[in-house]
Amino acid sequence: MDTALTGGSGTMTTGTPATGHEPVGTRKDYHALNAMLNLYDCDGRIQFEKDREAVRQYFRQHVRPNTVVFPSLEEKIAYLIEHDYYEAEPIRRYPWETVKALYRQAYAHGHRFRTFLGAFKFCTSYALKTFDGGRYLERYEDRVVATALYLGAGDGALAARLVDEMMTGRFQPATPTFLNAGKAQRGELVSCFLLRIEDNLESIGRGVNSALQLSKRGGGVALLLTNLRERGAPIKKIENQSSGVVPVMKLLEDSFSYANQLGARQGAGAVYLHAHHPDIMRFLDTKRENADEKIRIKTLSLGVVVPDITFELAKRNEDMQLFSPYDVEREYGKPLSDLSVSEHYDEMVANPRIRKTSLSAREFFKTLAELQFESGYPYLLFEDTVNRANPVPGWINMSNLCSEILQTNTASTYDTALGYESVGTDISCNLGSLNIAAAMASPDLGATVETAVRGLTSVSEQSRMDAVPSVDRGNDLSHAIGLGQMNLHGYLASQRIHYGSEEGVDFTGMYFYTVAYHALRASHRLAVERGTAFDGFAESAYADGSYFDKYTEQVWEPATARVRELFADAGVHLPTRQDWRELKAAVRADGIYNRYLQAVPPTGSISYLNDATASIHPVAAKVEIRKEGKLGRVYYPAPHLDNDNLEYFRDAYEIGPEKIIDTYAAATPHVDQGLSCTLFFPDSATTRDLNKAQIHAWRKGLKTLYYIRLRQEALAGTEIENCLSCAL
Amino acid sequence: MTTTPAGPSVTPPSYRHDPAARLRPVNWNRVTDEKDLEVWNRLTANFWLPEKVPLSNDLGAWQQRLSPEERTLTMRVFTGLTMLDTVQATVGEIVQIQDARTEHEEAVYTNIAFMQAVHARSYSSVFSTLATTPEIDDAYAWAIGNDVLQQRCKTVLAHYYGDDPLKRKVASTLLSSLLLYAGFYLPLHFSTHALLTNTADMIRLILRDKAVHGYYSGYKYQRGLEKLSPAGQEEMREFTHGLLDELYALELRYSGELYAPLGLMDDVAVFVRYNANKALMNLGYPARFGAAETKVNPEILAALSPGADENHDFFSGSGSSYVMGKAEDTADDDWDF
Repeated sequence: MDTALTGGSGTMTTGTPATGHEPVGTRKDYHALNAMLNLYDCDGRIQFEKDREAVRQYFRQHVRPNTVVFPSLEEKIAYLIEHDYYEAEPIRRYPWETVKALYRQAYAHGHRFRTFLGAFKFCTSYALKTFDGGRYLERYEDRVVATALYLGAGDGALAARLVDEMMTGRFQPATPTFLNAGKAQRGELVSCFLLRIEDNLESIGRGVNSALQLSKRGGGVALLLTNLRERGAPIKKIENQSSGVVPVMKLLEDSFSYANQLGARQGAGAVYLHAHHPDIMRFLDTKRENADEKIRIKTLSLGVVVPDITFELAKRNEDMQLFSPYDVEREYGKPLSDLSVSEHYDEMVANPRIRKTSLSAREFFKTLAELQFESGYPYLLFEDTVNRANPVPGWINMSNLCSEILQTNTASTYDTALGYESVGTDISCNLGSLNIAAAMASPDLGATVETAVRGLTSVSEQSRMDAVPSVDRGNDLSHAIGLGQMNLHGYLASQRIHYGSEEGVDFTGMYFYTVAYHALRASHRLAVERGTAFDGFAESAYADGSYFDKYTEQVWEPATARVRELFADAGVHLPTRQDWRELKAAVRADGIYNRYLQAVPPTGSISYLNDATASIHPVAAKVEIRKEGKLGRVYYPAPHLDNDNLEYFRDAYEIGPEKIIDTYAAATPHVDQGLSCTLFFPDSATTRDLNKAQIHAWRKGLKTLYYIRLRQEALAGTEIENCLSCAL
Repeated sequence: MTTTPAGPSVTPPSYRHDPAARLRPVNWNRVTDEKDLEVWNRLTANFWLPEKVPLSNDLGAWQQRLSPEERTLTMRVFTGLTMLDTVQATVGEIVQIQDARTEHEEAVYTNIAFMQAVHARSYSSVFSTLATTPEIDDAYAWAIGNDVLQQRCKTVLAHYYGDDPLKRKVASTLLSSLLLYAGFYLPLHFSTHALLTNTADMIRLILRDKAVHGYYSGYKYQRGLEKLSPAGQEEMREFTHGLLDELYALELRYSGELYAPLGLMDDVAVFVRYNANKALMNLGYPARFGAAETKVNPEILAALSPGADENHDFFSGSGSSYVMGKAEDTADDDWDF
């Protein structure tokens, strides 16, 4: 079974590396067992036990025979450091006894993977392997301790708290952190980078270079195209010279796929464009099914920044004017991305020195929806909603690859040799998520949040990004982090509450309300300990206290008895107005350390590891069919699902967009950045249904919308017998 | 100019039989068999082109993780699939137009024929992305020189050019539901093991179409069969089973040559029997092979479901679930805020 992996290969390995892939004829029992999750047994029940058997077989047949065993922990660590697998420094910051105690503490939790996908994903993508890729050097506990040691940065008590939070699954750092921490050969620990591009060739060149540098290190990169002059705009005053945003997109797409080949994680990029940029339709048409190869964008993600005015024009069924960014910058002395289009709309329309083109606002929204049918893109960012909620000075003009990072930025300027004349601030964010079910079971939710905030802050403090000085400077000034959440649906179902029901929405609001309080309190403690607040604190809504108005002037408590009971039974104290008043006074006095604290990412991989439902979405299916480049096709049963509580696991397509939007709307006021929100539709939906959902989301105050996912039912008569995905 | 009151009329393919008859344009406002419209809508919504799949993401797996034998197998399996799709695109679907029971069925077959040509072309996209010209030329030379492959196609073609419309349907359904699937086994197997996953996305788009094509020909066969006398029906039943046995034997020989050296043939044989049953089911007949002989490797069976329910990771592929959207204008009420 494992001959290729253990070296004694059979006949088929000519030209195949020592490991990674066994000859095609090798039948892997654990894959077959896992696939049985998607097939009912003879009584029409889901075969959960087959998946548990798949985990056992996977360890028995594959993992254990391929794991390197050391005589003692001391020898193992020494070996890993000596052979350049582990960095010495993060470990040597602690006395040896502390390190040993942390391993003992981790192993005492008796961790078991509950699903095949969790185990398979951990071993395939996270565990440290020998350089030839053939043998495992880490178990789950080892990865947790390596991460805790790194994030603890020499603080033994913090490292111990992190071990407990991670082993209980309450806190799960995002993939770049959990994958890389402590390893000697690694990428960056930060998840996301957001870069501006200004309207000059030096900035475009820098943008391409930064995209290469950052994706080589494993991050997702988003770039802002709003300021680039449109197709046909003048260059050096000569008319009709510029070729607009599309060729820049092509350059970026190719850069990302090139840098891909080196990264442990697939490099990926996104570009954002303002809805009122004259190239907006050309930008969208790059995703058309029948687009010409030269302008077709396959792997780059697209996002559109939509201000309130566009909705109002559509309401009045009027044309929307598109403004030349070249002219806008000359008229206002600042680029299009740094001013509110809603606020200046009439003024710009009236200004004859700004070139304009127009299109029907409703047609624009219809085109967005058509493209979302064909490709899932673009993401939407509601510009005015985002900026109204932004507590710090500056204008937010873009988001990231997953549409949850929302921070301000400033432009850099370059000399002709691409050196910096002035270093602006670009955005980075490292992420980590709480498992809501586990966090509700925490003996002290406030302490769990605080440990998570400290762990995330540590990544920010230890990260250097020398290749992109503007990102480095942004990070130094802001220490922005993104605390996320996952397993909302799993938790609600385990309490026999329907996702999107009155109680479900009520719980969501109160949970996020509580987390916001603890996150701010933790960041205040950090500011006191470090003796400094984030750059720009003095001009923020935290400093003048207005951020806290909604909490000190208004009473927040559960609307339903069931939700009151949930918090009471869990022993979770809901912050009172008095708590908020005290926090407000403390924050105004000392500041907070992190410019941004929360962002709710989509949590693909880590929710499988952590046995959680993704983010605060409903499940995509009771048994999800997961397909990824590195894993192949694997089946994943929803966490907490059994054959008796199936009714609480209605999937996202059945639940529909309204309830998802209502759930996100309850969480949004308590999250300073954004929340990735995917909407799910059956293929019988029309573009109008998508537009109606977008209008609803905008009205309910959502800040961004992520993918549109579609599900097509098999035509009656073509299904596979006994197949879950056909029947459910 | 004279107008004749609407009398008896025929669709253009009937000109062959009666040049004097009045011709009528296809009228989608009068649909006599709702199945035609349902299938038409499904097929048009599912339109796709191979250019949308980022096949180049599979280059790493192709160059570094597949052995030369595995690469050759893949090239041959795909060339074999190209051959079958070429037969369908240029003959198999086209010859069914003349036998259509409704004018809408004629239109559906033109769509199916075109998509078969898209499928045939999509394997070339895989070749040109992953392989070199000499490798591609070798694979085509292999297909032309392989006797069993030739015989498989010619057995079916003989009935396409025969004179019995129902036999054409049987032959076409068996090709779509039985012969093609042994070729799909390999990419599905690969994708479960994280190899060539983007190619597998493309194969799943093809599967999504084939499931409808096989089903539709079988459905129309059953409508035709209902009109026959019991004796005629019995004759068709015997014909179907005879042709099935003939193609099944050929398929085992063909797939055996390909898959046996890599140790996959046992699983593939089960899969072929499973699909033989599926073909019979489409034609309205009971299964030919028992449950024990058709217990398909679950990872392949689970991967077969034609619904677009795979939750893919956007960053490593484009998935196989997106469709052409239905555009509908928003109304004033929708903007009521």
